[in-house]
Amino acid sequence: MDRGSRKSPERVFPRQLVFIVPPHIQKEIIRNGTAAEREAMLHQLSVSEMLRGGRQAFAGPAAAVPAGRRRRAVYDAGGSEQLPGLLVREEGGRASRNRAVNEAYSASGRMYDFMAKVYGRSSIDGRGMRLDASVHFGVRYDNAFWNGSQMVYGDGDGMVFNRFTRAIDVVGHELTHGITQNEAGLQYRDQPGALNESFSDVFGSLLKQWVKKQTAAQADWIIGEGLFTRRIKAAGLRSMKAPGTAYDDPLIGRDPQPAHMKDYYRGADDNGGVHINSGIPNHAFYLAAVAIGGNAWEKAGRVWYVALCDRLRRGSSFADTARITVAVAGELFGRGGKAQAAVQSAWKQVGVAG
Amino acid sequence: MKISFERSGGFAGMHLAVKFELGSLGGADAGRLRQLVSDAGFFDLPAQVLSKERQPDRFSYRLTVTGKERSHTVEVDEEVVPGQLAPLIDWLTRMAASR
Repeated sequence: MDRGSRKSPERVFPRQLVFIVPPHIQKEIIRNGTAAEREAMLHQLSVSEMLRGGRQAFAGPAAAVPAGRRRRAVYDAGGSEQLPGLLVREEGGRASRNRAVNEAYSASGRMYDFMAKVYGRSSIDGRGMRLDASVHFGVRYDNAFWNGSQMVYGDGDGMVFNRFTRAIDVVGHELTHGITQNEAGLQYRDQPGALNESFSDVFGSLLKQWVKKQTAAQADWIIGEGLFTRRIKAAGLRSMKAPGTAYDDPLIGRDPQPAHMKDYYRGADDNGGVHINSGIPNHAFYLAAVAIGGNAWEKAGRVWYVALCDRLRRGSSFADTARITVAVAGELFGRGGKAQAAVQSAWKQVGVAG
Repeated sequence: MKISFERSGGFAGMHLAVKFELGSLGGADAGRLRQLVSDAGFFDLPAQVLSKERQPDRFSYRLTVTGKERSHTVEVDEEVVPGQLAPLIDWLTRMAASR
């Protein structure tokens, strides 16, 4: 099976060299080191990544990355709940007359490019995995999800929700679930689950900002803009800038997201509130990105990306993530530097002590 | 017969709920629901039908049916909804959404 274009290194370094430099530091050397250092680190990184189970997580310049190729497939579930449905568009294939098909295809391609160019990642598994999506799932289905191997999109009921392919950050959100599954593997319950959700919102939002070429200050930080029909009073589904304010409407009620630990949801619904409490780490990311300034995907995004790929584990908590992102920010951008101070202050502002 | 239905989770994370007395519905709807509860074998379902590995952004449901002599609550994850229960959940979802 074609697993993308990564090749085994031709030279294998002595074993003791393989693990001495943490992956994110290796990545820095790849970005900033001399040509010889860079080459050595690239080899070392591919060996250690192979040994770690094939992850490819370094965030170097695109030129240093084995060139990946986009591979996409879009299926039409035709209103059934059988997956994947009928194959309707493949990589390089002609545009469909169906809007949802083209939206899913095009947004998946943007996410592929974003991950490859910004973080040097080849697809969601780091090995060029094909991105599969099914559209027209179910009847008037008000949802989109990741089933463990592909994206699935409903058409919405037309009264409250439009089709879910309409918002590019939704596509980025679903594909990030695939990345999380391949990396930290955050379990989908309580705090690890809320973090799983938050990473999907973070990289969904960063995809949108990257496509729109917006700085952290220019972005609206809304998740799912345009998903609600015009009759609903809403900016979108969630707000990373001001969790709890995305919608307030007589028909659907009010956005339940907390922005601070003091309002943490402790009930059992939604796997322990994974879509509710994600507001807290979402807001921490927003605060860090805005304090750092510039394009959010460059520094704050990289810190979160390295944490997700190299540091976080299945059961990581908010506090673990705070501690880890503060450490990674220091390692990547300087101990005691602006980025590290911004990340530290962001978690403090949402009531999470690292 | 009383029915209470709640849905949580999903990409939007919006809570959807409906609670009603069967007698408050029109005769045709009440009859249809009684049939759906019976087809689902509702009172014989386990209290929890949960997915081992949750699929991100899927819904979670909680249904309670209270009859004259018995009451039963079932919590079920969308990706493992038993086939015989799916039509009842579909019906209740539409009902909750239209209110």
